[in-house]
Amino acid sequence: MSTAPDTTIWTTLKELPSNVWSSIFRNPLPNTDLERSSTSFTNFFLHIHPVKVHRNTLRPIYTLGLGLISLFLFLILVVTGVLLMFYYVPSTTQAYDRMLDLRGTVAFGIFLRNMHRWSAHGMVAMVFLHMCRVFLTGAYKKPREFNWVIGVLLLLVTLFLSFTGYLLPWDQLAYWAITVGTSIAAYAPLIGKQMQFVLLGDTTVGQEALLRFYVLHVAVLPAVLVLLAAIHFWRIRKDGGLSRPQPAEAAAKPMVYKKVVYGLQGFVRGPFTKVGNVPDDSVYSWPNLLLSELFVFVLTVSVILVVSLLFNAPLEQPVNVMHPPNPAKAPWYFLGLQEMVSYSAFWGGIGIPGLMVALLLGVPYLDRNPKGVGRWFAKERLLANTLFLTLVTLNVIFIIIGTFFRGPNWTFVSPF
Amino acid sequence: MRLALAIASFVVLIVHGLVFHDQFFHRWERHQTAYFEQARSLSKNPRERAELEARAPHIEQIIVTSFGDTRVDRCVTCHIAADDPRFAGMAEPLKTHPYSAALGDVQRNGHWERRHKFSDFGCTVCHEGQGRGLDNFHSHGEDEFWPEPMLGYVTQANWRKDFEPHLKGAAYMEAACAQCHTQQDFAGTPHVNRGRKLFYAMNCYGCHKIDGISEGTLGPDLTEAGKKFKIDYLWESIVEPRANLDTSFMPNFHLGNDDVEALVIFLKSRRGVNFAETTLDRYKAHIENVAVVIPPGTAGEKAGEQLLADRACTACHKLRDRDGGIAPDLSYEGLIRDDAWLMEHFKNPRSRIPDSIMPTFRFPDEDFERLSAFLGSLKTPPAPAAADVTYQQLCERCHGEKGDGAGKVAWYIDPSPRDFTKQGFMSSKPRDRFVTSIKEGVPGTSMPPWGRTLKDDQVDGVLNYVLKTFAKIDAPSPKQHNVPDHNPVATSDASVSRGEKIFLERCTGCHGRKADGKGPNSLDIFPHPRNLRNHWFVAKVEDRRLFDSILYGVQGTAMPSWIDYGLSKEDAGDIINFIRGINPSARSEQPHASN
Amino acid sequence: MPVAQRLHDNDTDAGPRTIERRRLLAWLSSVGLFGSAVLAAVSNLVFFKPRVTYSPSARFSIGKPDDFPPGTRISRDVERVCVVREGNRMAAISTTCTHLGCIVGISDTGFACPCHGSRYDQDGTVTGGPAPKPLPWFQVSLAPNGELEVDKNTQVDPGTYLTV
Repeated sequence: MSTAPDTTIWTTLKELPSNVWSSIFRNPLPNTDLERSSTSFTNFFLHIHPVKVHRNTLRPIYTLGLGLISLFLFLILVVTGVLLMFYYVPSTTQAYDRMLDLRGTVAFGIFLRNMHRWSAHGMVAMVFLHMCRVFLTGAYKKPREFNWVIGVLLLLVTLFLSFTGYLLPWDQLAYWAITVGTSIAAYAPLIGKQMQFVLLGDTTVGQEALLRFYVLHVAVLPAVLVLLAAIHFWRIRKDGGLSRPQPAEAAAKPMVYKKVVYGLQGFVRGPFTKVGNVPDDSVYSWPNLLLSELFVFVLTVSVILVVSLLFNAPLEQPVNVMHPPNPAKAPWYFLGLQEMVSYSAFWGGIGIPGLMVALLLGVPYLDRNPKGVGRWFAKERLLANTLFLTLVTLNVIFIIIGTFFRGPNWTFVSPF
Repeated sequence: MRLALAIASFVVLIVHGLVFHDQFFHRWERHQTAYFEQARSLSKNPRERAELEARAPHIEQIIVTSFGDTRVDRCVTCHIAADDPRFAGMAEPLKTHPYSAALGDVQRNGHWERRHKFSDFGCTVCHEGQGRGLDNFHSHGEDEFWPEPMLGYVTQANWRKDFEPHLKGAAYMEAACAQCHTQQDFAGTPHVNRGRKLFYAMNCYGCHKIDGISEGTLGPDLTEAGKKFKIDYLWESIVEPRANLDTSFMPNFHLGNDDVEALVIFLKSRRGVNFAETTLDRYKAHIENVAVVIPPGTAGEKAGEQLLADRACTACHKLRDRDGGIAPDLSYEGLIRDDAWLMEHFKNPRSRIPDSIMPTFRFPDEDFERLSAFLGSLKTPPAPAAADVTYQQLCERCHGEKGDGAGKVAWYIDPSPRDFTKQGFMSSKPRDRFVTSIKEGVPGTSMPPWGRTLKDDQVDGVLNYVLKTFAKIDAPSPKQHNVPDHNPVATSDASVSRGEKIFLERCTGCHGRKADGKGPNSLDIFPHPRNLRNHWFVAKVEDRRLFDSILYGVQGTAMPSWIDYGLSKEDAGDIINFIRGINPSARSEQPHASN
Repeated sequence: MPVAQRLHDNDTDAGPRTIERRRLLAWLSSVGLFGSAVLAAVSNLVFFKPRVTYSPSARFSIGKPDDFPPGTRISRDVERVCVVREGNRMAAISTTCTHLGCIVGISDTGFACPCHGSRYDQDGTVTGGPAPKPLPWFQVSLAPNGELEVDKNTQVDPGTYLTV
């Protein structure tokens, strides 16, 4: 350490790189437990993680990494989406041509678009599977009820993001899918037509709808999603980390809340106060959790890259308002709805979906059975799991029917 | 703090309320409600009355795509009674749009039928104004930033007050009619027709190009004048040509208000595109490069004098009893110019007088020949008279009645006519030079060789008159300077480049980088610096005079005596080589008469 | 008030009158702020609902009665309306399918939708397919200038005709 008063300019310059480095990275790469703790604690990006996590959190079979996959898909969507924004114009006269340019002349254009499209479908699917996982492991129970509610909201925002993005290529596929989708919205009683008018900015899908969907898709909904996701992750920390099976002897222990202020660490009031009481089956976030996350990230990116290389996102004919295709189908995640609508417009489009969303939101408040958390298909939750799986299966069946078994005039056709 | 917060919260609530209220209860809603009520009281049909009762105010608009860019006209939001015949006698905005046979409307079974239906045309294609606005200020185009205020109805705040009374009136709307009705003598656009005739009669077509009408290149292209400029700008440009461009040499034709109005309406109708044309028409005209349309009434065999009248030469020149007040007197052309000179000057005035502002007309050669022949026939010399009368007849037009170079047409002539009252100049030049200038003229300028019509004693007489009366000297008394008669410095590339270097360092401030006399200081100096690319002039002027001017300056002008600033005789010689070098034709023998 | 008002009071030494006053002020502030929030929210809703669109106007002229010979049914695709004239009676029926918004075509028996097979009779009543509601009829009126006007913002009962 040079404290001599005669430090020359040369020594200052020589030490400059390491001074810069250590001003940014104040902690060394961890080698001791103390350093591992510090890193999680003091790094801006890493301090979303707790210093230590329960072993169960890292078990792949438990979470299947679905939440992480959803998050990473969202990140891919944001990056590819912003890049696509440099070439796309939300104008009824220009949008399709810009899509052609992206496909034809923009370097990596076709690739970025594919990544965006397949990540979008992937995210809808993964978010849905993540919800199934959380349900089937009972991870919505107290104290995680509100986080579940946020999750349902995130699901709706994801669906809406996908829906608004679907319109942007302005081809026949996009136009009629959104026409069908927004017509379903008009079936809501009293306010249906008004809602449709505000959503579309006009009575039919046109330039106003394209502009509104664009703004929602690139600005409003991503902001809402980021906000909700941030709360979602914060809630995970506050609820004590991911759910896990309760150790048998700890089941009856009451929670003790102290009123004394410990400083920052003391604000954690969950069942996981670190002070002097470190459970055995936890591991340091650095490097274990981070390695797992990085692995999931690499996996997600690889799969998306391969899929984008192999399969091209569709671009059908340019919009022709006079020429509705027969049949006109909504995006796949709404096909279940469309199938139900063909039986009853109100119940299929508004009633049953509304009921399903209400049930989803209410599940943690209706199911107060505290048992069965942290395990897949716990026997104590047979009823809940069965009901849930039934509804999921029905929805999937409807989607399959709508996708493969419906032809012109929505009559039954054979896909073989 | 709590009290402050409570008060602030209340204030913010009030403000929110104001903001909210501001977006409702618009004026157009009141107009519409008034219309519904009045229409209901006028209605005899109970069903119609019920419908009107149930009607709520809505923004009404007409979307028109057939006339260029999409127009969204919301005028009918306030002017909702425009197509309701029962409101003909009401006050605006609830007044029926007038019907008139002049607009092509017809009466059938006692009902008027509109020729120009609002649903097809909208409003702004005829009236201009801002279709998308919903309050008076914007929709009528009073906003100075709106390029299309309502024609003849609205003036904008930044328009000149002295023009405003002239810029109102329904006649201005003819400019909009002419966007489709482009026929030359369409009955519905009398002002446009008159303006077009004036465009020819005042020789505007000589300088200004309008696609399909004229090919002048001296002035700005006016093909889209109506699209680019508002009527106040057009008016100003005609009555005060230098209002917007200090270096403009467009003459002031001193037209009457009616004529200016007609011209403005005609120019306002020039939008570059004719809505009645098809794309194919336009393309064909473009590739065939339609030649200039010869002004009406001039085809075929016409005598030169008739041609002169038809071509409106007297819009600028003087001949017999007509005088445009802008260009020289043609009465003695036959005496002072020869046919070859006339012919060349016609084909391109700048080939003889490089800074002339006379337009280059693209007439057929026979016209030029006839005109030259006619002018050449004007050989009646002025009656012999006393020197002062001679001065009045021949010199005053340019040199001015006070001899100060501010004659009637002086402003339009470049180089300007000499100011004889500059005693310093007049007394510093040898008398011979003045005599030569009068007798042989000054080549490359508008000073003609009067010696062809004045006898020597007349020349002397006029010169004495000028010296005594204006310069107030008896005779010049030039100083003898030590300058060589011929340039001792040999012409060589080295000398020329040396001269160029000195020129660029010392001379360009006044004489300009192109040595054309248009340097940055030139506008502030009078007389203006000499155009050193005037090859006629340069060819005639002797080396001695150039040395004198450069080294010892020109008294009475801004030309300094450069010997005082360290220029040597050799330097001056280099400069002279340079000047002669940039006037190549000065070296060669002139096949035609040199003046 | 015996105690001079300070900007930062300690909660612990507030007397009952002060607390009463604070409650009132808090209530006033809440009213002001909440009211502003409500107004702002309502303003946003008003903002999002367009007051005018660039599609063809809901009220439009279709021409003179003479343009429609008796017994004709003429479909206008741009405005999505079918103009019907029976004798001297005129009506305007919407050609937007009530199922999912496609344009129905005129068929021998009335109207037929190419998208999902909805069928309507001459008056727009549903005779087959997934359409949930009959085709609406729009108000037809005679404008003061002698032309017929259809107003898609005003629906009338099926069977309501304008006599010309």
